[in-house]
Formats: sequence, C-alpha cells, structure tokens
Amino acid sequence: MFVELNSILNTSPDDVTQREFILLSDRKADASFLIHHYLSFYLKAGCKVCFVGLVQSLSHYSAVAQRLGVNLVQAREKGQLVFVEALKASAAVMLDQTGGDVAQMSDYLRSPVPELRALFEFVRASLSQAEAEADSNSPPVLIVDDLSVLLSLGVSVRAVLDFTHYCQATICSQLQGSVVTLVRCDDDDDDDEDESSSHLLRALSHQCTLSLRVEGLRTGYCRDIHDQVEIWWRGTGENVQSQRKIFQYKVYDKSVSFFAPGTSSAVL
Amino acid sequence: MLSEVLQGTESGGFVIIRDTACYSGRRLLKYYMNCALKRGEAVHVLGFEVPEHELCAGLDSNYLHLFHFHSAYTDPLGWTKQSLFTVKHFSAKEITLLLQETQHANDSVLVIDSLSWVVRHHDTVTVCQELQKLRKAGGSVRMIFGLLHMDLHQQGIVGTVSHVASTVISVTPMNNARYAMAKTSQRKKSGKVMQKEEFFSLPEDLTLSIETKPNQSGNVQTDLYTKSEVDPTSNLTFNLHLSEVEREAREKVALPFVFSEEKKSALLRPGRGSGRIMYEPDANDDIDDEDPDDDLDV
Repeated sequence: MFVELNSILNTSPDDVTQREFILLSDRKADASFLIHHYLSFYLKAGCKVCFVGLVQSLSHYSAVAQRLGVNLVQAREKGQLVFVEALKASAAVMLDQTGGDVAQMSDYLRSPVPELRALFEFVRASLSQAEAEADSNSPPVLIVDDLSVLLSLGVSVRAVLDFTHYCQATICSQLQGSVVTLVRCDDDDDDDEDESSSHLLRALSHQCTLSLRVEGLRTGYCRDIHDQVEIWWRGTGENVQSQRKIFQYKVYDKSVSFFAPGTSSAVL
Repeated sequence: MLSEVLQGTESGGFVIIRDTACYSGRRLLKYYMNCALKRGEAVHVLGFEVPEHELCAGLDSNYLHLFHFHSAYTDPLGWTKQSLFTVKHFSAKEITLLLQETQHANDSVLVIDSLSWVVRHHDTVTVCQELQKLRKAGGSVRMIFGLLHMDLHQQGIVGTVSHVASTVISVTPMNNARYAMAKTSQRKKSGKVMQKEEFFSLPEDLTLSIETKPNQSGNVQTDLYTKSEVDPTSNLTFNLHLSEVEREAREKVALPFVFSEEKKSALLRPGRGSGRIMYEPDANDDIDDEDPDDDLDV
C-alpha cells in the first residue's frame, strides 16, 4: 500500500470508498505496482478479497505483499483472501489435466463458445459467502490481474465485458463492494480492431468510476522518473465531477513517490 | 435545437445520442427523460448499463410514478435468473408486450440505455429491423431514445444504426470542463435535413443551457443543400455589383463604334478643300510572276 497514492485519491484503509469500479491500464509501461497496492490496501482495510491471478503465481504476489507489510498466506488461511490460481489452472486446462475445482472453473477455455460464466459464479459464491458471515462493514473486493491475458487465451472481448458487467452489477451494486481490474495495451494489436485489448480498454472506460492509466514517458527512459500516470475520476456517480490529473512517479522498494510533471528532484 | 428535439408532435421519432468514453451522453438522455416526464408522458427505460437508482437520481420526484425501469442491469444474459427482461428479449414484440403491462392512457417514450449493449449481443441488421418495427408500430410508443457509444463499434455499424434514427446527436467534450459540444442532425419527414452545432452545459439538476457556437452565429440554421452551394462572388477582390447611381452613369456612356446621328454627321460632313483620290489600276501593276512561297522548303 502506497500512502502517497492514498492521499492523492483521498482514501485510506479506514475509509474505503464503496461501489468503485477501478480500471488500471498500462501502455508501454508496467502498472503491476498498482495491483500490489490495491491488494495490500484492501487486505489492510479488512475487506474480503477475491484475487484472480492470471499473470503470476501466489508465491510472487505474497513475496511482494510481504514487503508492503501484508501476509497473503495468513490472510488466505483466515479466509479473508480467496486466491484463484488462474495461471496454473489455465495451463492445466490447456494440457488436459482434469480434476480440481479450479480447473472446473476455467472450463471457459474449452467450451465451444468461451464465456466466463463459471468464473463469475465462483467469484460471486466466494464473495457472497463473506457477506453472510457478518462483518458487513467491510465490503467485498474483486481484483483481476489481468484481463488482457484472457484475450490471449482465446476469450472474446464480448465475453470479458459480460464478465465485468456481471461482476460490477453483483459486487458494486448488490454487495456494495469494489472491483479492480488491469488491462494491458499493446500498440501493435490494432490490426484486429474488434478483438484488441485497446477495444477492451475503451469499453471498460465507459464502465469504470476511476481510471488509472500508466504510460511510458514520451521522451524515453529516465533514471529518476519511471513513468507517468493519468488519474481520471469519471463523473458517473452522483455529485462526482469528471476530473483528470497527470502525475509522474518513481517506484522505490517499498513506496512510490508521485509528483507533478516536470517537478522531479532530478529536474529541479 | 437541442431543446426542440422532444417537442415534435409527430410519432415515430427516434433519437440517438452518440458519445465516447471522454464525455458521457447519459446526462443528456436524463434531461430528455425529465422533459418527457414533465409533459406527463410515461417513460419506459430498458436499462442495461446503470442501475435504477443511478438513472433515477436527479429526475423530478413529482413525476416518478410515470417512470418505469425494466431492469436488465443485474442479469442481462439470464445467468443468475433474476430478471424478467434480458438482452435476448430485445425484439419489437417483446418490448411492446412489456410496455403494455404498465400502459397509461397517454403517450409513452422508450429509452434504451444503451444500444451498444444490444448491438454487442445481436446482429446489427436484426437490431435495425426491430427498431424500425417499433417505430412503425405507432400508438403506444411516441418516441424512442437510444444511447450509443461510438468508440466501441466499427464505423460501419455506427453508421447503419444511425441511419434508422430521425435525429442524431453527437456529444463531444470541450477544453472547458463546464461546456460540451453537441452536433445535432435532424431529418424531417419531408426529407429536409437540419444540422446545428451547439455548446451546452448540463449540471446535476438537469437544467440545460445552450450557447450557439460563436463563429457561425449568423447563419446557424443551414440547410444541407444550400450549404453545399457556396456563393462564388462572395470573396472577390473587385466589385461585381452595381449600385443604382452607377447603373445610371453606365447607361449614359455611349459605346464606341455605335454611330449616333451626331457622330455620323460629324464624320460624313464633307470638309472644305478636301481632296479626292483617283485611282486607275494599271494592267501590269499587280502581276507578280514570282512565287511568294519559293523560299519555303515545302
């Protein structure tokens, strides 16, 4: 969890904004530090978290979380964290190793028309359960890292959008929780316009309430400034004005420092 | 022109509001819903994208009994078997049935939020046909409003769906956060097409304020056909037009080689001491033996 980001977003683990649909995206940069931020943020806030990891294994996430002061293994044993090892499950499905609940859930890769209904039902079941177990002060959270991997696995943009819509309708509206998703954009996938990750990103931008867009610096590599992030509060909810701000940042071992463009310590 | 969209009395109007992720057209949609409610018309919403409470917020609470939300938000595909209306039910027949369940005596307005959801799950041609059927059905549905996210579809699909509509409003954001620009093109039944660009601001309380685009304030209401005929005499460096005084002056000027009586008499009057040329051609004079083209190498 990065304190500086919390102060920019005007939030803290004691005061979690409910019903948020947060869209993280990156282009020619790496936004995974934001995934780690939100994972540790919501765990510290005491929320029940369902994490769908399509990019890394649990040990990777727990190693990073350890540095940020959160123990994933413990949280998982407590039942606060439901970790879906979709990375391993996808491979198992591809290699035709059947068996196990997770493989069942990744059935989407095999069915004639790939849809993510089984995955949604798993997410809903695991998060609604938390709702039943009382402690209703802390809203449930779904984090997906990341959605564009599903596209690479042959799931259509339409199926992914159906999945996110159901997640938003169930988790944000019914359970008063939040959804965090990451979409990675490549510049060279414009040839297939309808099935590209940029198309997915545009569609999700319509859906989201808060968008954090990480982009590489236009001037190229810099030692003191890693990349820039555009924070966009969308005016979808009541009383929220649409607002955009751009920050540059540098990622350190355990924290991130944000500053207005052109005001890094290396420049001034 | 934005404010006049709803005022037409003829039935079968179909309005598409096109937006992009940068600026949502949903608030404009809500403005029209609010206007229709205030006129005492029933508003039926097919809601796919936002929950009921979000769409309801800001609407006039005195008229909410006329507001009917057919929710396809929580379960648009029938996965959790919660809602009666799913995207599969998008057909003229089903929708007419749905409207008849809560039919009021007066006119009703159908709002589709959004068409993008429908287009994503149906064939474009089918969607256009069903919309056309709904328009022609007449009677219950006076007007249809639809929201379409332009940046989510191929250009051809956006064009096809827009052709069915009688009015297309495209909203785009301005640099100024308060104002946005709306490009309206309206096709009348007579075939006349009206186009207009307007700046508008629409705060939370849904009061629309419009400012016409400053650089074309003179001839805002342009017909498509006259617009294409540009006046070639408008930007000349010289004057092509005649004033009344200039015309009179021009008429007074005598043209050369036109013989007035005066001029004729002046020229033809035999002056005193004038000579006379006598010429008697000599027989040998004009004969030239030499070939004039001799030096040419023909």
